[in-house]
Amino acid sequence: MKLKINMKKILVAFLIAIFSSQAMAQEVSKAKEVDEFVEIIGNKIVKVAGEKATSDAKKREKIIAIIDGVIDANWIARFVLGKNYKTANDEQRQRFTALYRDFMINTYGPKFKNYDGKKFTVNEVKQQGSFYVAKAEFLPRESNVPISVDFRVKEKNGKLLILDFIAEGISLIETQRSEFNSAIAQNGMDKFLDDLAERVKKLKSSGK
Amino acid sequence: MRIGLFLKSRIFIRASCFVVRGSWFKITEARCAMHGARKDTEFCVTTIFAIILLTISPSQLLAKEVKSAMYYQRFESEEEFESYESDNEQEIHDPYEKFNRKIYSFNDAFDRYFFEHVAKAYRHGIPQPARKIIRNFLNNLSLPVSAVNSILQGKIDNSLATFSNFIINTTIGLGGMFDIAVQKGIFYKHEDFGQTLGHYGVGSGAYLVVPFLGPSSSRDFGGWLTDRGVDPLGFNLLEIGGKTDLVESNYRIALALMSGIDKRESLLDIVDDVRKDSFDPYATIRSAYLQKRENEIKN
Repeated sequence: MKLKINMKKILVAFLIAIFSSQAMAQEVSKAKEVDEFVEIIGNKIVKVAGEKATSDAKKREKIIAIIDGVIDANWIARFVLGKNYKTANDEQRQRFTALYRDFMINTYGPKFKNYDGKKFTVNEVKQQGSFYVAKAEFLPRESNVPISVDFRVKEKNGKLLILDFIAEGISLIETQRSEFNSAIAQNGMDKFLDDLAERVKKLKSSGK
Repeated sequence: MRIGLFLKSRIFIRASCFVVRGSWFKITEARCAMHGARKDTEFCVTTIFAIILLTISPSQLLAKEVKSAMYYQRFESEEEFESYESDNEQEIHDPYEKFNRKIYSFNDAFDRYFFEHVAKAYRHGIPQPARKIIRNFLNNLSLPVSAVNSILQGKIDNSLATFSNFIINTTIGLGGMFDIAVQKGIFYKHEDFGQTLGHYGVGSGAYLVVPFLGPSSSRDFGGWLTDRGVDPLGFNLLEIGGKTDLVESNYRIALALMSGIDKRESLLDIVDDVRKDSFDPYATIRSAYLQKRENEIKN
């Protein structure tokens, strides 16, 4: 009897060991995948920003193309709207989501001067719930002190997508949410959406 | 039986003594006896501590607990958005928002019409290497206070690194003009008294915008005052060097102005971006400031 129980225990322990090691192996490979994903994007952007022969307009276009393909604009749009998402009607939600994508890529695309640097490296990838956080370092061209930049990544339908960009501890989407909520609280949703539409129009036309 | 023994034991008696008589004063006395240090200096430190803790702690207790700025880390799935948001209606503690916004407008106007131009003139008028030397020099002067705060937080390694930076740069780096230590790979992190308070669990309290200085909080502004109070290059309340004017007040004012210009110059591009991109610069700066401070305290 006693032996039986022990055997059972051993069997269970054995099974757990097998499954957990498998799960761990999966996690490790996933972390590696995230590491590569972020490192490739970071280096692509740094490379484009550092190209001397490319014109500013072309750089802008290239960086917009890189950003556009790898961010989950819908998720971020939902996040930055915060508590206002609940009170907004469907039409407002859709309008915001469409505008937000254009706002993001056209605001951060032209900032290629900020991305000009010597090196971009991912140091570590951590799993946090359903997210992965890639902790990276960026060395600007005119400095010896690296800037810490973290990327929050999530897998969606088998594809990795970036949800947030955290520079020196300041989260882009967290800051934006605070800003948008405050602007909406002051002027109302419709006025905010009009302002956003106008901004997007201006941003798009300024690049051409 | 064992409990009885424990109650009688010397450790317990001494511990309770510490608690009853005030551990700070006990420690101060012990230190004075050990090192023969000047009692009044120690007393001064203790008093400053006590005042800061007494003024800040109650406001912390009364203030609504400030939620972590990086709270979205808790999301597990997208469905959690909704339940979560109802719990976190007020994530930023800004009870003086109306007043803060007024100060912000004042600072903003002062900056647009005057200070920004000073910083731009500084950037364009003085070449980059010279500005770097000035920045190194000013930074070096801030290291002793930073190192002391590192000790207070129990970060011995960082404190040693900061001290070594100060000593190496002051000597080999010619009075701090050249940052030799960092080039040699001795990295350190700046610590101030606001961070020290944060390290021991004091929340940021109410968000404040201070005239001419910009974003702060009740904890950080109190910490800033304390740092400036004890800093030999500030008000030198501890009378390091034997007298209050270790450095003549004219030099002190010049240093303060210079570090203000240096700081503003370093922020030129960031502030430009915020003014251009943000739909509400006040809210953007507030959020960024609180996140930055939290991050500085955490590491």
